[in-house]
Amino acid sequence: MSRYRVVLAAAVVVLLPVFAGAEPYLAVAKGLKCGTCHVAASGGGKRTAYGNTYAQTELPARTLDLGTIWTGELGSYFAVGGDARGGWRQVDVPGQRSATDTDLDEFLAYAEIRPVPKYLTLYVDARLRPDDPVIREQWARLTLPGGRWSLRAGEFFLPFGWRLEDDSAFIRQVPGINFNTPDKGWELGYERGPWTAQLAVTRGTAGGPEVDSGKQYSLRLSRVLQGWRVGGSLNLNDAKVGDRRMHNLFAGVRTGPVAWLAELDYIVDEGTPTGRRASWTSLLEANYGYRKGHNLKLTYEWFDPDDAVDEDERNRLSVVWEYAPFQFLQARLGYRNYTGIPQNAVQNREQLFAELHVFF
Amino acid sequence: MSEPTTTRTETRRGACARLAMLAALLAGCSAGNGSGLDVSGRPLGEGGDVPLAPTLAAIQANVFDPFCVVCHSGANAPLGLRLDAASSFTNLVSVRSRQVGSLFRVEPGQPDRSYLVQKLEGTAAEGRQMPLDGPPLPQATIDFVRQWIADGALPGGAGPGAGPPVVVSLAPQPGSMLAAMPADITAGFDRDIDASTVNDQTFTLVRSNDGVFDNGDDVAITPAAVGLAPMNARLAVMDLTGVPAVDDRYRVGLEGSGPNVVLDLDGIALDGEFDMALPSGDGTAGGDFVAEFEVAGLQPSLESIQANVFTPDCAVCHTGPPGPDLPAGLDLSSADASFANLVDQASIQQPAVDRVEPFDAEASYLVQKLEGAPGITGSRMPQGGPFLDQAVVDVIRSWIDSGADR
Repeated sequence: MSRYRVVLAAAVVVLLPVFAGAEPYLAVAKGLKCGTCHVAASGGGKRTAYGNTYAQTELPARTLDLGTIWTGELGSYFAVGGDARGGWRQVDVPGQRSATDTDLDEFLAYAEIRPVPKYLTLYVDARLRPDDPVIREQWARLTLPGGRWSLRAGEFFLPFGWRLEDDSAFIRQVPGINFNTPDKGWELGYERGPWTAQLAVTRGTAGGPEVDSGKQYSLRLSRVLQGWRVGGSLNLNDAKVGDRRMHNLFAGVRTGPVAWLAELDYIVDEGTPTGRRASWTSLLEANYGYRKGHNLKLTYEWFDPDDAVDEDERNRLSVVWEYAPFQFLQARLGYRNYTGIPQNAVQNREQLFAELHVFF
Repeated sequence: MSEPTTTRTETRRGACARLAMLAALLAGCSAGNGSGLDVSGRPLGEGGDVPLAPTLAAIQANVFDPFCVVCHSGANAPLGLRLDAASSFTNLVSVRSRQVGSLFRVEPGQPDRSYLVQKLEGTAAEGRQMPLDGPPLPQATIDFVRQWIADGALPGGAGPGAGPPVVVSLAPQPGSMLAAMPADITAGFDRDIDASTVNDQTFTLVRSNDGVFDNGDDVAITPAAVGLAPMNARLAVMDLTGVPAVDDRYRVGLEGSGPNVVLDLDGIALDGEFDMALPSGDGTAGGDFVAEFEVAGLQPSLESIQANVFTPDCAVCHTGPPGPDLPAGLDLSSADASFANLVDQASIQQPAVDRVEPFDAEASYLVQKLEGAPGITGSRMPQGGPFLDQAVVDVIRSWIDSGADR
């Protein structure tokens, strides 16, 4: 292997997926599908043995010698994993006193049971609390021989656009498809060469009980290549309160040490008090992996709540430094600047945060 | 093995240049200047220009609209909790929390036990403080929410009245069609109620047995328990545990007249008259509160559709003789009127299309209006929602496709 190839391989390996919430820029940088490092084909949740291994050996600034590599695998039939996040946050709203908050935000535990390894998987993702555990995902997946087709049934996060870890991003918050809103139903998955696709039919109640016979249909299709990828999603929620239709295009490209993400969403609601309302959200993100274990993330987001109303748009600009000093640990320090209409102070807030993330 | 220093430096310079380009690009973008908009980003005069006060209308304009509906709206509202102006009252007041089922989202008279307050103040047992990922609302703002709840959680812009006690909320929602029997029925009042007057004689439930009430075959339901909610003298609860789930129309009664009536702590009788708008009452003590809901049971016949759909959902507006006050000239107040005005009758809005074309639901304007099909004139029906469950529309389709017989 030439010196150049070794350098390139090392640079690519640095950007492998590790963090529990999906960090799709890492997949873009590596040229891998989300399902390579996560149990779910569209990313997020428990990491695979592959994801865990690289997370410990290549991602952090240095790897402590613990004598073994934790893969989460407890034999052929069982695997576990987990994530814990907590930190400090300060929010400054113009004209108001600063608000600070320090908390353990969440502790997630994952269990994967494989009664028939490679073909049949049972999966649980639980947010643990002392007296009130909450199941986020619980599903069974049957993968057909050859691995191209799979069928998943149960409660799971829906496929739609980039599955960012940050649920407060406009492209996660506004569509309402995020880590707070699993839905029950089934999903057909397809993997072939550079193509990955998921078609889900679910209740459409964003985590609530079924209230009508309408369903939510989610289709996500993307083509994944070594240095770039492009995809699109369609979503129709046929609901008694008024249909919602969502469409998006998303893309990622790697230019040297920078991995770029972009997404544009168009959302149409039929059930608002003023009738039909169409909104737009977008994201543009640059991730600069300037040194092993370090990533500088610059994100710009835009949100137009109603395309029939002028001058109501909002922006969000974020600068986040991510540092993985050694395996199982990530620190994150960030600043977000929200800009919106001047008469709403909260839309013009600033936020500072520091977060520690322990994962295994 | 290390990367050549020159190559690494050039790569970093290139990355910095791209980041600088991105920064320059973003600097050219800006948020809206808010011209002509209210604090929620909606056009002035649309209804949100209300100073903060302990009323739902003011809280809607100053809290729900600007901070909550960005997520809590539309078909994908988390946990089905829509907080737009058309939905907030019915989704909050006397409705059980989906995260902590022992609590109501808003329990009239009990701000401390209302899950909405707990979520806003960050004391809820489940999930994160709301607004999600935003700064907490100022306590002074939350205090208005607290006061609104303490005053009885009245709908609209109403504050606590000085007249007789009234019903301010009912769950299930009056006129609603449910997929399953509710676990309980709750009625909220605008003040503390005398617990001894809330019992199975004053808070009643009957089912029609045949879709029609008062024809001698109504069935009285015997609930597991009836009384005031624990530590809340403003909320009456009828426990339906063990009650057989029968698809039928149900009628809830709260007595304001007769030998056994609901009384407040001053001995004043319930002002119960109800015409599908809460709070109840005509300003004079006395009068029974009567509201209906339905548990599925729809059949593809005009009689069933009339009883279960047209009468409760359409005839509120589509009633009366032809004239300027009758929407689209369409009277749906009885099965005879509905048949005469629908079947083989051209739409006024789109004369080339029949309102009901027998054997062809797809071509029937009624179905198009109910489903909000592209190309309809005016609004989807029922106007302003909530819209009919597709399963209900499918039954109407079946009736049409089978010939739309009388």
